[in-house]
Amino acid sequence: MKNLVRSEFRKIFTTNIWWAFLVSVLVLAAVSFAFNALQAHSILHAPEPALPPGTSPDQQQQIRAAYDARKNLPVQAANLYTSGQYFGLLFVLLLGILVVTNEYFHQTATATFLATPQRTRVIAGKLLATIVSAAVLCVGLTVLAVIAGVIFLQIDGETFALTDPAVVRALLLNLLAYGIWAVFGVGFGTLIRNQLAAVIVALALYLVASQVAAAIISLVSLLTHADWVMKLAVLVPSVASSLMITGGDIPGNPPQWLGAVILVAYAVAAGTIGTLLTRSRDIG
Amino acid sequence: MPDNEIVVDGLTKDFRRVRAVDGLSFTVRPGRVTGFLGPNGAGKTTTLRMILGLVRPTSGTATIGGRRYADLAEPLRTVGAVLEASSFHRGRSGRNHLLVLCDAAGMPAERADEVLELVGLTTAATRKVRGYSLGMKQRLGIAAALLGDPQVLILDEPANGLDPEGIHWMRGLLRGFAQQGRTVLVSSHLLGEVQHLADDVVIIAGGKLVRQAGVGELTGALTTARVLARTPNPDKLVAALNGAGSETGEDGVVRVTGVDTAAVFRAAVAAGIELHELTYERTDLEQVFLELTSGRAEIR
Repeated sequence: MKNLVRSEFRKIFTTNIWWAFLVSVLVLAAVSFAFNALQAHSILHAPEPALPPGTSPDQQQQIRAAYDARKNLPVQAANLYTSGQYFGLLFVLLLGILVVTNEYFHQTATATFLATPQRTRVIAGKLLATIVSAAVLCVGLTVLAVIAGVIFLQIDGETFALTDPAVVRALLLNLLAYGIWAVFGVGFGTLIRNQLAAVIVALALYLVASQVAAAIISLVSLLTHADWVMKLAVLVPSVASSLMITGGDIPGNPPQWLGAVILVAYAVAAGTIGTLLTRSRDIG
Repeated sequence: MPDNEIVVDGLTKDFRRVRAVDGLSFTVRPGRVTGFLGPNGAGKTTTLRMILGLVRPTSGTATIGGRRYADLAEPLRTVGAVLEASSFHRGRSGRNHLLVLCDAAGMPAERADEVLELVGLTTAATRKVRGYSLGMKQRLGIAAALLGDPQVLILDEPANGLDPEGIHWMRGLLRGFAQQGRTVLVSSHLLGEVQHLADDVVIIAGGKLVRQAGVGELTGALTTARVLARTPNPDKLVAALNGAGSETGEDGVVRVTGVDTAAVFRAAVAAGIELHELTYERTDLEQVFLELTSGRAEIR
């Protein structure tokens, strides 16, 4: 297995695509960080909310609670330290897809399966190589974001809350998310071996599926007057992912672990079906 | 059973409604070069891919030294295969392509450099495959096949894209392999190519076996020897041959079947006929091949 993983790493790092990916992720992460920093600054320094005259004590209390919830250093710090997550996960998904579909696109599957006729082992090698790459990317981005975040918070006159349980949890969930999306990507690639189709479907699923699903689900729920339909939104992978990472703002307020379970289930299902397909496919 | 014999037994492959390979059985012996012949679309590539475990047979088996390809402990050290010449990542260098395979098979990187030297690609090794000519890609494919110093070589139309010098080089390589007691199976639709290279031929058409034989046996057995004579008096010669199957051609050529040159010479001398040429007409494999596969090679 070690040989196979090494072979897959060499495949990844002997073409130019990983450079393009890395540069894109770094640029997008830097932009995200700048955005998050501005947001943190404005929120952490927000003035006391103006309480309009004539509001009841109840309403006043609600406004205050909302203000306090947002003006929360650990939440803002965690947000800063996981900057670039949205695009990082996207690129990990794409990496997983390319690691598999490149073999068909460039017709290298023949050489690969001649060297290792046990196709399940080949996919396992790809899976491990992608997960490790994703983890390294995640750790690298986190280190950069934490350094930049600590410097920013220091300048901004805040403590940096690095050991706060909420921050630690956010960082670990971030790592978990990278791993799961890596598995998801490889599974996706084995499922749809046409590279262009796989990339387009994955992009659609990652970037727009949440909105589309939310629209459809609200429509159905409106027509049927069934509240439970709203709760189905969590079945969309990207919704499940944001639920897992942040707790999200999802109808029915499902527990955070449910997001992880749904995402893992998708990843395992895609990987298993894809592996079975790959085993029975003719390479020609 | 010799350790590196290829045995194809009742191999059949259906692609949707088309039966590409139909109950095919043959044996490829070590120490010889075996040509695998058939018109385009005869099922050669599908058969080779089934032997190599890339295409799953509908029924039947193919084994190498008694084992299916997928069950070989060290496939690259047992079998080297050259399939289509385009199966490289264009953005990866030739050397890196080989290193990827070395990694997977647990072979040292030096092995990649050795085979690059062997196929004459050392100077192009670090260039991307994008810039390779078809012949260079073909050489890289052969280099990949040689990585594990295998006992069995399987090549699908290896002459495609090679220049005459490259073809000459490859023939020498394959002959050398066979002389060392290894097994060589080469497919081709170019019969002239195989005629000068192969010891045995397996001919298929429409996915079925037409004939398996030694090259000499095939050219000898299937066509009766013909004598070609040239004379200023062809009609007289035909009369003198008195019943032997003969036909006249242009420029005073007479083709005689069923007798040898001595008999024709005697008949000509006895009748006082002048002869300008008298030889055996060699049948080449091309002719035999057309005879064997005619009417069975429908396009699919």
